[in-house]
Amino acid sequence: MKSRRGPVLLGTYYFGLIVLLYLPIALLFLFSVNSSAFLSFPIKQLTLDWYQKLFDADAVLRSARNSLVVALGSSLAATTLGTMVSILMLRYKFRGQNLLIALSVLPLIVPYVVLGVALLILFSVLHIDRSLWTVGIAHTVVALPYTLLIIASRFAGMDAGIEEAAMDLGADYPTTLRRVVLPLIFPAMVSAWLTAFTVSFDEFALALFLAGTQPTFPVYLFSQLRFANRLPIMIALAVLLMIGTLTLVLVAERFRRREV
Amino acid sequence: MKPKRSMLLAARGILLAFVLMLSACGAPAPATELPPGELTGDLTVLDWAGYDAEDFWIDFKNTYPKVTVNFEIGSSDADIYGKMKAGDQADIFHIYTGWLQFYVDEGLVEEIDTSKLTNWDKVPENFKKIGQIDGKQYFVPWDWGFTSILYRTDKVPEGVDSWASLTDPKFADHISMWDDGPGAVTISSYIHGYDETAITDEQLASIKDEWIAQRDLNLFYWAGEPELVEGMRSGDVWVAYAWQGAYALLLGEGVPVAYANPKEGRNSWVGVYGIRKGTENYDLALKFLDAKLGEATGANVVNLFYYGHSNQDVMNGITDETLKQAFSIDDPDILNKTNFTPNLTAEQRDAWTAMWAEVKAAP
Amino acid sequence: MTSSTPTLPSPKSNSFGGGILKGWKGRGWDRRATFWLIYLPPLFCLFVFLVMPVLLMAAFSFRPDMRGDLFRTWIPTLDQYASLVATGSYWRLLGISTLTALGIAISAVLLAYPLAYFLAFYAGARAGFYLILLLVPFWTSYLLRIMAWKILLGTEGVINSFLIYAGLIQEPLTALLYNRTAVVLTLVYVWLPFAALPILAALQRIDPALFEAAADLGARPAYQFARITLPLSLPGVFAAFFMVFIPTIGEYVTPLLVGGSRGFLYGNIIQDFFTKAANWPLGSALSMIMLAATLILVVLATRLIDLRQLFE
Repeated sequence: MKSRRGPVLLGTYYFGLIVLLYLPIALLFLFSVNSSAFLSFPIKQLTLDWYQKLFDADAVLRSARNSLVVALGSSLAATTLGTMVSILMLRYKFRGQNLLIALSVLPLIVPYVVLGVALLILFSVLHIDRSLWTVGIAHTVVALPYTLLIIASRFAGMDAGIEEAAMDLGADYPTTLRRVVLPLIFPAMVSAWLTAFTVSFDEFALALFLAGTQPTFPVYLFSQLRFANRLPIMIALAVLLMIGTLTLVLVAERFRRREV
Repeated sequence: MKPKRSMLLAARGILLAFVLMLSACGAPAPATELPPGELTGDLTVLDWAGYDAEDFWIDFKNTYPKVTVNFEIGSSDADIYGKMKAGDQADIFHIYTGWLQFYVDEGLVEEIDTSKLTNWDKVPENFKKIGQIDGKQYFVPWDWGFTSILYRTDKVPEGVDSWASLTDPKFADHISMWDDGPGAVTISSYIHGYDETAITDEQLASIKDEWIAQRDLNLFYWAGEPELVEGMRSGDVWVAYAWQGAYALLLGEGVPVAYANPKEGRNSWVGVYGIRKGTENYDLALKFLDAKLGEATGANVVNLFYYGHSNQDVMNGITDETLKQAFSIDDPDILNKTNFTPNLTAEQRDAWTAMWAEVKAAP
Repeated sequence: MTSSTPTLPSPKSNSFGGGILKGWKGRGWDRRATFWLIYLPPLFCLFVFLVMPVLLMAAFSFRPDMRGDLFRTWIPTLDQYASLVATGSYWRLLGISTLTALGIAISAVLLAYPLAYFLAFYAGARAGFYLILLLVPFWTSYLLRIMAWKILLGTEGVINSFLIYAGLIQEPLTALLYNRTAVVLTLVYVWLPFAALPILAALQRIDPALFEAAADLGARPAYQFARITLPLSLPGVFAAFFMVFIPTIGEYVTPLLVGGSRGFLYGNIIQDFFTKAANWPLGSALSMIMLAATLILVVLATRLIDLRQLFE
């Protein structure tokens, strides 16, 4: 652990991957200021026209807002449920425990197309209209295995002794969970929440089946792809979202460093 | 004098009673009697993406500004059909030729009362017929276009004159076919002279083998026009199955392309709107469809999407050279040389789509 | 379900912490109350929004066709399965898809491990930031990113232009796009950051004191890695593997975008029957087969690697 080579090599590896990941995004940015409607080189003329048109494109902005709402809701729900199942899995023993675990992981093996149609059938039978709620429910279900895996991985390493000590000192179980366990697994919960948010924000197979009159951004984008001349506006929005998120992340990092 | 006065009184009394009666009846006036500018209501349309933009129902919006129109997005004919079968409550839906029969057979669509459509006489006869099943008008034709072979004139200087070019080994790795089973069957029937409405099992089997062989020559199947346009623009694709929208777009960007007139004839497809059976907004839906046939709406379809519109006045009013070329407006005979897509039966749909899946899965 | 699972190791028998609290210790009522509070919501959600839909889907696979009222009961028929058994190419494709997914999962996990290692041990306080930096691209539309990737990989793309310019090749490489290899490369690229997450979680919970103790006893870094880090991170590795492997079997978007005419996977066939053919019964039957195959794989895997042991 004290050698110099390791960290440098690994660091290079990490940053190399970052470059690879952001390369397409840099390209998208280039195209968003290109006056041609085609996604190609050479760059014809630099222009901010597409961004201007974006702000008139109500439908595009609304779809982005819808995506945000669904992602926030479903990620919070999935994290909560994932935490619950983790506790049930590792701090209790009961009949049907394995069934619960299996069910929680089952969404991973059901293809999204299948789940989408199946939920469509379910909602039709129950006379529930398709809406952002139905999309959110689907996203919660598919995000659950991820949140469960991440939180349980962290949770398992925790010595139950801490909780026992707390209870010996007089705390009841809910308080123990709240004051002892949750703070300790909080980093994993944040990690899980981020994953669930990511899973939901760009998901479109399920959203396509289950969105009603309010499409999410990927659904809107996918359906706009039919018409090549609408593409640059969508790219402009994607780039904006990216810049917005990056800014938030950088600002958060600044704040954290100040505290440290 | 006295009898006259009593008669006058009586007349006044009757008049008064009459007026009172009228005003009492007049209170809840039926919706259709309101002036268009005051009409309120709620419509839901299940449509393809892009058509929710106001440009494509601008006549309705201007005439009935107080009516709310909501859009649900369908991603394909199969998707829209599935959603309608599953009980979607949209009032109006938009589908394309080939898929019309199912809606009638499954009782999903209302008959159109064409007497209430003010723009109906601007629609040519053959388009009207396309919206008819068993002699009844179930659908209103709206958008239409050609399918033909699009090719790069610089890569294929000798030109293309037959659908068989899509299966020609000369163009190996530079062909792009539309990802659609019925479309493939249609092309094979053109090439070999089969009757599209009566494909036998043996013919279907040989069609499957033909397209499995074609797969080795095909660079990629395109599902949306941008893919195709990008492939052609970059020169990866030389010959492709394409709608004229792609042609007009590439032409406008200065890419050297041409839209073939194959000897077997071009194909044409028509998009139609139908009203869901059992909708409570039948009259409002009819008004919407009538407005869809309007000139401003039609002009937008032509200029923004490069698709044709069923209002003949709109088509006659096209001046843009690129579009005129795309629609072969200067060729008055073009529609007679064109094969319109017939409607599939449910068995055909299942058989042809299964055939295509096997083509994709073949080793 | 309980009778068919392998015997669980005793919760008190592990030496790495964790384990179930002994019984309903102390004031049992609050343990019991908490149990029901946290058991019912997930159970309800999973049953209503996962089990029931899948059962409905299974029922659909026994439907003869799409005719009539979709929700009125029908006479079950094995027609769909019969036609599938007769089509050998679908089974072959399922096998290929599974093997491809296996390859992608192994590659992703192998490539993600150094990433997780870096974040766990060398990123220090910035680990969270670096992690988010990895995930942010995924909040851009996948479709758009892949479209941009295609520009990079195409015959006139940036990579080919650069290689030709550098004189490394004469003709542009056509093998980068529109084939199964492109699908594999793209999927590994996409899964990498996600695969790092469980591995990272597992690495982070290793007690640093273990390393100090080992160093005090004279163990070199390579030895520490092999005997401490690697074994303790294995649960995370397996979690990452499954997290990538299982969903990739049913993947269809990437083959559509970069796979060309020959890169289709089993998921594409399923998707086509739903979204192009409006043939829900056949699509459902295909899905049931895939579900069954995946379940068998998972059960086999859990026999080899006891799931509970992952977390103990």
